Amino acid sequence: MSILVVGLNHKSAPVEVREKLAFNANNIPTALSCFLQKYQKAEAVILSTCNRVEIYVSSLDGAIQAEDVLSFLADFHKVELPVFSPYMYHNKDGRAVNHLFFVTTSLDSMVLGESQILSQVKEAYTIASLQESTGKVLNQLFQQALNVAKIVHTKTSIGKRKVSISSVAVEFAEKIFQDFTGKIVLVVGAGEMCELLIKHLYEEGARTFVVANRTFERAQELAHTYHGQAIKYELLGEYLAKADIIISSTSAPHYVIHTQQIKEAIKHRRGNPIFLIDIAVPRDIEPDIAKIDNVYLYNIDDLQSVVSQNIDERTREIEKCRSIIEEEVEHFMAKLEEIKIEPAITLLRNHFHAIGREELNRLKPKLKNMQDGEWEQVVYTIERTINKLLHHPAKVAKQEAKNGGGYRYVETIKKLFGIFHHTDHPQH
Amino acid sequence: MISLPHTPFIIVIILYFISSVWSIGSIVKPHAFNRKVVKWSMMMGFFIHSGFLVFLGFESSNIPITNVYESFISLLWCILFVYINLDYLYRLPSLDTFLIPVVTALSLWALTFDGGNLLITVHLQNFWLIAHIIPIFVGYAAFTISFSLSIMYLTQQRQLKHKLFGPLFNKLPSLEGIDKLMWKTISFGFPLLTLGLVFGTFWVKTQNILGEMWYLDYKVILGLATWLIYAALLHMRLVASFHGTKIACLTIAGFCLVLFTFIGTFFMGSKHAFQNVNEQSHTKILHIQ
Repeated sequence: MSILVVGLNHKSAPVEVREKLAFNANNIPTALSCFLQKYQKAEAVILSTCNRVEIYVSSLDGAIQAEDVLSFLADFHKVELPVFSPYMYHNKDGRAVNHLFFVTTSLDSMVLGESQILSQVKEAYTIASLQESTGKVLNQLFQQALNVAKIVHTKTSIGKRKVSISSVAVEFAEKIFQDFTGKIVLVVGAGEMCELLIKHLYEEGARTFVVANRTFERAQELAHTYHGQAIKYELLGEYLAKADIIISSTSAPHYVIHTQQIKEAIKHRRGNPIFLIDIAVPRDIEPDIAKIDNVYLYNIDDLQSVVSQNIDERTREIEKCRSIIEEEVEHFMAKLEEIKIEPAITLLRNHFHAIGREELNRLKPKLKNMQDGEWEQVVYTIERTINKLLHHPAKVAKQEAKNGGGYRYVETIKKLFGIFHHTDHPQH
Repeated sequence: MISLPHTPFIIVIILYFISSVWSIGSIVKPHAFNRKVVKWSMMMGFFIHSGFLVFLGFESSNIPITNVYESFISLLWCILFVYINLDYLYRLPSLDTFLIPVVTALSLWALTFDGGNLLITVHLQNFWLIAHIIPIFVGYAAFTISFSLSIMYLTQQRQLKHKLFGPLFNKLPSLEGIDKLMWKTISFGFPLLTLGLVFGTFWVKTQNILGEMWYLDYKVILGLATWLIYAALLHMRLVASFHGTKIACLTIAGFCLVLFTFIGTFFMGSKHAFQNVNEQSHTKILHIQ
């Protein structure tokens, strides 16, 4: 039984190639059943996100090679093999397991420590198991991978700090306001960055948005999306005192919000704090505003420096993650060896018991006078003897399997006792 | 020197000290300092503290406020009692880091009053005394907590203003959250203080325990000032709906006045129902039924 991963990601392939091989939730089940039709005793999981397409395969003694998966991909997506094969990577067994653990814990992601990949892996696995394309090996592997991700996220701070401007800004807002319900968010400008911030605030519970923009239509459009209110740009001053959070991102070459305005606003607000986020370059909000009591002003550099610090912090955690993963890969490989050896041990047991039954059948006619109760004792004794005889070899074989040498033992025993049939197929 | 019967209180202080160190440590180095130690050492300290008060009570067959030292210990007990209950009700995050060191420091200070040179001059099994002392003590306890909350507010405010995002920044709640709690504790303490002062005045007027010129007693004057400062705070918040740094600063000022009223007046010569032991032989202790 071996594990293979074949795939490509944002580091190995440009988007033009990735999009050619991408699967969606609708065609993954079809792809999986096509694959299983072709390779009947295999197990497979397809992981397809915007940054990666990977197929995890488990087959008997490495029956399926990377080339087989590549040609399957070419056939399924009707893409010429040379178009994508240079961008593909593949890993086997321990390295494949290591790769999946890296992916699930987001060490292989574009944004280190992101948690979205975890749910994507979970979904990929769920689809595959519903399609019955996973067996003992991949079930164990994916459950372990999800588990490892959880361990890594709790034991390290890889995913703790926010690493985008908008999420950092929202985090600061949360340190000023207990919650966003009933808070008024004034948005000046209607750019992409503003929209991201509004989206984040909306997700955290903010519901009252007032949008002011030079182009009123654009303000209306943005306000409409988040059930807010669009105001004429000229009315901006009137709303300053009402707003708890002010986001500014206009392309104006001069300051849009002035110290005097905020001084007056804070007087009206009687010390209720105002949080100002200036994400415009050149800046929109007069920097002196930061000196006013109960006013908190953050510009793009303030936010960016926190983002960089947080990214550094996540990067520092990589080594810790790696060592956890290494340990977990070792555990899994030991478990895999045990899985591998189980069918062989069953085979051995069945063989011995078959001999036992055969001998009992031969003996029974000769002991006609024996009572039922006595005969049961004989059968019980024979079975017990066989189990006792096999107990120790099975235990040793399992133990040895964890070190990677168990299979050899079983092969030897099989040879010695003349058991030649292979029955260790995956159990769905 | 600390006498042997006060050893339990030393143990209490050591436990509060451990709790303080761990509560600060758990913020700076969360992996090295377990949060459980903070809670357990505090609770253990509080348990012994309670036991010690019961012991003192039994020893003098009175509520343990027979001298300044005992009063101080009782007040500290009230602070922790109110804190534990508030924490249970509102889950005050990280407040222990700001409160327990204050309690530890005050406990150490309390220790310096051991020796009991100021003894109470009034009969303790007196309704008015209980009615005067208990609300005031619980009120003071609430003000101590609001003081810790203001320190917390100003710390977080400073961090936000100066963009200092250390480990403490992440642990502390939002400014608005702290502000609300501050308000809750003050509005809990103020009616109690008022009640205590009203009872006190009634007591002093009817039973003449501070003499004719009772209103010139430092403690009475400062008690009134404390009441006024908190009344001003309430007015600012309720009528003018003030928030933020000003309220936090005023709360700190209020607490300083509380401390000064409680302890400082003794240094100024106010006896306020306490009397120097060495004067005892000359003066008949007032017994009021």
